[in-house]
Amino acid sequence: MTASQIRFFTLWRREVNRFMKIKRQTIGAPLLETFLYISVFGAALGTRIDELQGFDYVIFVIPGLIMMAWAINAFSNNASSILQQKFQGAIQDQLSSPASPAQLLVAMSLGGFTRGGIVALLTFGASALLVDLPLAHPLVLIASLVLVGFVFSQIGVLVGVRAEQFDDVALAQTFVLQPLIFLGGVFYSAELLPEPFQTLTYFNPIYYMVDLVRYGFLGVAETNVLVAFAALIAVTAAVFALNLHLFNRGYKLRD
Amino acid sequence: MTDAVSPEAPTGADAPALHISDLFKRYANGVEALRGVTLDVREGEFFGLLGPNGAGKSTLIHCSTGLAQPTSGVIEVFGHNALHDYEQARQAIGLAPQEPNLDWFLTVAESLDYHAGYFGMPRAERRRRTEEMLETFSLTEKSKERTNSLSGGMKRRLILARALMHRPRLLILDEPTAGVDIELRLELWHYVKQINREGTTILLTTHYLEEAEQLCDKIAFIDKGAIVAQGTSAELSRRYGVSNLEDAYLELVGRKELSRSTTEGRET
Repeated sequence: MTASQIRFFTLWRREVNRFMKIKRQTIGAPLLETFLYISVFGAALGTRIDELQGFDYVIFVIPGLIMMAWAINAFSNNASSILQQKFQGAIQDQLSSPASPAQLLVAMSLGGFTRGGIVALLTFGASALLVDLPLAHPLVLIASLVLVGFVFSQIGVLVGVRAEQFDDVALAQTFVLQPLIFLGGVFYSAELLPEPFQTLTYFNPIYYMVDLVRYGFLGVAETNVLVAFAALIAVTAAVFALNLHLFNRGYKLRD
Repeated sequence: MTDAVSPEAPTGADAPALHISDLFKRYANGVEALRGVTLDVREGEFFGLLGPNGAGKSTLIHCSTGLAQPTSGVIEVFGHNALHDYEQARQAIGLAPQEPNLDWFLTVAESLDYHAGYFGMPRAERRRRTEEMLETFSLTEKSKERTNSLSGGMKRRLILARALMHRPRLLILDEPTAGVDIELRLELWHYVKQINREGTTILLTTHYLEEAEQLCDKIAFIDKGAIVAQGTSAELSRRYGVSNLEDAYLELVGRKELSRSTTEGRET
């Protein structure tokens, strides 16, 4: 391994080490939360709901829940980790190292990406044991989940860098991201909504992400998959470019 | 910060450990923390930087280590521009900051291991060096403890050990003995003197003038963001027409009425 590779790997390892040391909170709690959703919305309420898009309700909601698990964990991990390190001053050890801004950004992003991926994978594994979950388009599924995980990990970095107190992170997560995700069609099909809520849903970017992941699992989509995929790539690239610009400038990281 | 490495600045073996030229730093709130600092620390030197609180010592250190971005001026570390060749420049520096900035999630051993990893040190070498530093700084028994459970003195030891993990050629110590007991202070003095004798250049900021007098080959006074005087302790005393470094410092900060020779004379 070159010195640069060791540096990058260590930066990433630090992020993984952080969330693994508090794994009851960072892995266990989100897993439990996802299973409560599956139990309540799928097993309990689902028996009283007809099929959606030709699938049992519990199967219909699982793809969205897996995506939600990856997205929220990627976001909250990175936002919290960066803000904690800024509070402790510990981030100085990384900032005064020879690591480049791009290395710092990607390694910090991958911390949350990894945590989200672990929670999503465990949710998928357990769901597959409980129900017969189809895998219609595995490549689309993997590509879309990876992109969703990466874009939310980038948004987490952005919020963590900008945040000056934990309230700032909570504000973004509770009042922006979670409402967007919950209203993004995880638990229902937009086609069932009355107006104007149906039209409003089409302005929610999360809706397209959920639909893309659902297409990967179930093979059915309400939107144009190619357009949704292209938009997701564009958004991911835009947020990454913004973060890289901020890291290069040292925005709220270096005095 | 100006782009080019200054043409007259030497590179390679003849380059100073730290070359700072016409350095300005203005913060976003308009505070001008550094106003045209020019300073050379030669390789192998034990260099002291003294000044009152808010004089610009920590800002100068932060600019040299990448923690702050200079407004203009040149900083070179062993001939490497700190902005454009930051990888080489930072590789040469070990920083023990004023405030304990340890990662609460890591153990003592992990703190050392991760730091060395950030500086690209291979795993086997990291392990050997971690053992060595734990032993040197009497931290072996604490190696598996989280950093937030350490006492103030232990944190100081760990910060110094961490700064030395990657074998820096220039060690920057920002008030390393602030708030530590006399035993640890003497122990740290002994260690930094030893590594200086072994060839490591040291830049020290301190409020303890006897510390600067005991340790430093050369001392600079910084005040209101500018270097106002530099030389050996004896040269500074002569320059201010006083008998010791403490009185020279009091002259600098405009508080010569606090001089012990004056107050002791008054009391008798």
